Amino acid sequence: MTTLQWQPSAPDHVPADLMVDFDFFHIPDGVTDPTAIWHGLAGRGAPPIFYTPRNGGHWVFLRYADIVEGYRNHEMFSTRGAQVPPIEPYPVLQPNGVDPPQHDVFRKLLAPMFTPLAVRRMTEGLQQRAEGLISGFAGKGGCDFVKDYAAKFPTGTFLDLFGLPEERLPEFLRLSDTFFRSSDPDLRAANLNEIYAVLEELFREKARNPGNDIASALVQARDADGKQHTWEDIINCGFLLFVAGLDTVTNTMTYVWRYLATTPEARQQFRSRMDDPAAFMNAIEELMRINAVSTISRRVTHDCEFKGVQFRKHDRVMLPNTVANRDASVFRDPQAIDLDRTVNNHVTFGVGPHRCIGSHLAKREIMISLQEWLRQIPDFRLADEPGSASVFGGPVMGFETLKLVW
Amino acid sequence: MKVIANLDVCQGHARCEDICPEVFATDAVEGKVVINQPEFPPELEEKVRLAVRNCPEGALRIAKGGAA
Repeated sequence: MTTLQWQPSAPDHVPADLMVDFDFFHIPDGVTDPTAIWHGLAGRGAPPIFYTPRNGGHWVFLRYADIVEGYRNHEMFSTRGAQVPPIEPYPVLQPNGVDPPQHDVFRKLLAPMFTPLAVRRMTEGLQQRAEGLISGFAGKGGCDFVKDYAAKFPTGTFLDLFGLPEERLPEFLRLSDTFFRSSDPDLRAANLNEIYAVLEELFREKARNPGNDIASALVQARDADGKQHTWEDIINCGFLLFVAGLDTVTNTMTYVWRYLATTPEARQQFRSRMDDPAAFMNAIEELMRINAVSTISRRVTHDCEFKGVQFRKHDRVMLPNTVANRDASVFRDPQAIDLDRTVNNHVTFGVGPHRCIGSHLAKREIMISLQEWLRQIPDFRLADEPGSASVFGGPVMGFETLKLVW
Repeated sequence: MKVIANLDVCQGHARCEDICPEVFATDAVEGKVVINQPEFPPELEEKVRLAVRNCPEGALRIAKGGAA
C-alpha cells in the first residue's frame, strides 16, 4: 500500500485499508503508455474496490464483474452528474447524462442512425476520406499520425454526420483540441461557450433548411406529445456526440498504430486478412480490448453497501475499462495480444443501457482506415518512441503526437 | 437446437452479427438483435456458440429442441 503523501479529509465512511493515493490524470516520468498507471494498481497492493482522495475523491473498481455491475445497476450507480473531478453545474448530456427510463427517449432517437446497417451505408464516404488523407502524405516518408490523420479522420466524419461542409474542418479541429487538451480554465470556459454557440447556430440552420443528417433528424424529431424536443436537450445531444466521437477514436487509433508500428508480425497478420473482413474485424476487436482509452464514472444514488463496502450518496465511482479488459478471471492469458482470440467479452464500449452507441461507427472508422493505410503504407515504424511528456491520462488516455516513418 | 435472445438485455453491440451473420442481424430501428434462423443448421453450431459466448450482455442462449 502506498502511504499518502498528504492527508486530505478522507470521508469517514472510508476505512483506512481501502485508501490508495491515485491520480488518474498524473502520468509519472518514464511512463510511455498511460494505461500502465491503471494496470500498476494491483501490484501496488490496491484492493479491488478502493478509494482515492485525489480529484475530488472517488472510488475505483478493479474487477471485471464489479465494473460491469457499475454499468448495469443504474439504480445504485447513476450517470447523472458523475464527472470526476466534480464539475457543477454541468450540462445534462442527452442521452448519456440521464438514467433510464428518461434516457430511452434520445437513445431511441439516435439508435437508427448508428446501427450496423446505417454504418455500412457510410462505408464509401469513410473510404474516400481515408484514401484522401493517406495519399496526401504517403509519398512523404513520414507523418505525425495524431495531427495528420487520427484527429482529422473522426472530426471530418463528424462534419459529414452533421451535414457540415468540409471547409469547417480547421475550426472544428481547433475547438476539439482546446476542449480535450487545454487545462487553462479561462480558455476552457470560452471554448465551451464557443462550442455551444456553434452547435446552436447549426441546429437553428437545420431547422430552417433540413438535410439528410443527424442534426436535421434531431431538430425534426417529435416527442410523445408530438412536440419538438427542447433546444437545450437537442444542443446537449449534439454536444454529447462531439464529446464522445472525436477524442476517443483519435486516441484508440493512435494506440493501434503505435502497436502496429512496433510489431511487424501484427502488420503482416492484418495484411494477410485484407480479403477476409470477418477475420480482420476479429483482430480489430482484440486491439479494442487491449487499447481501451476511456474510463467512465458513475455517482452513487443512495447510502448503500456493495460487495461488502459502504458507499455514501453522491460518492463517485470510476470504471476503468482497460482494467476490466485484462481481468484474468474472464480473459485467457489477458496480457497477450492474440489477434485470433475467439472469446473476447471486452467492455471498451461499456455495457448496459449506456453502451457506446457509436461503437459500430468507431470500429468501421478504424477498420477502413487500417485497410487503406496498409494498401498505401504496408510497413512503417516509430520515428522515435513518444516520451512521457507527450502522453496524457484522464478520462480519455492517449498521445499528443506519434511520429511515424516509412 | 435453437438460439434465443433476451431483448430486454440486448444493447445492440452486434458482436453476434459480426461472428455469425448467417443467423444474427441487427434491426434498423432500435439496433437490437434479430435472429434470422433460430433453428440453425448443425454446420453453424460452432459459430452460433461463439456468438453466444461473445455477447457482452449475456443476452443469447441456446435451447435444446426445436419447439419452444
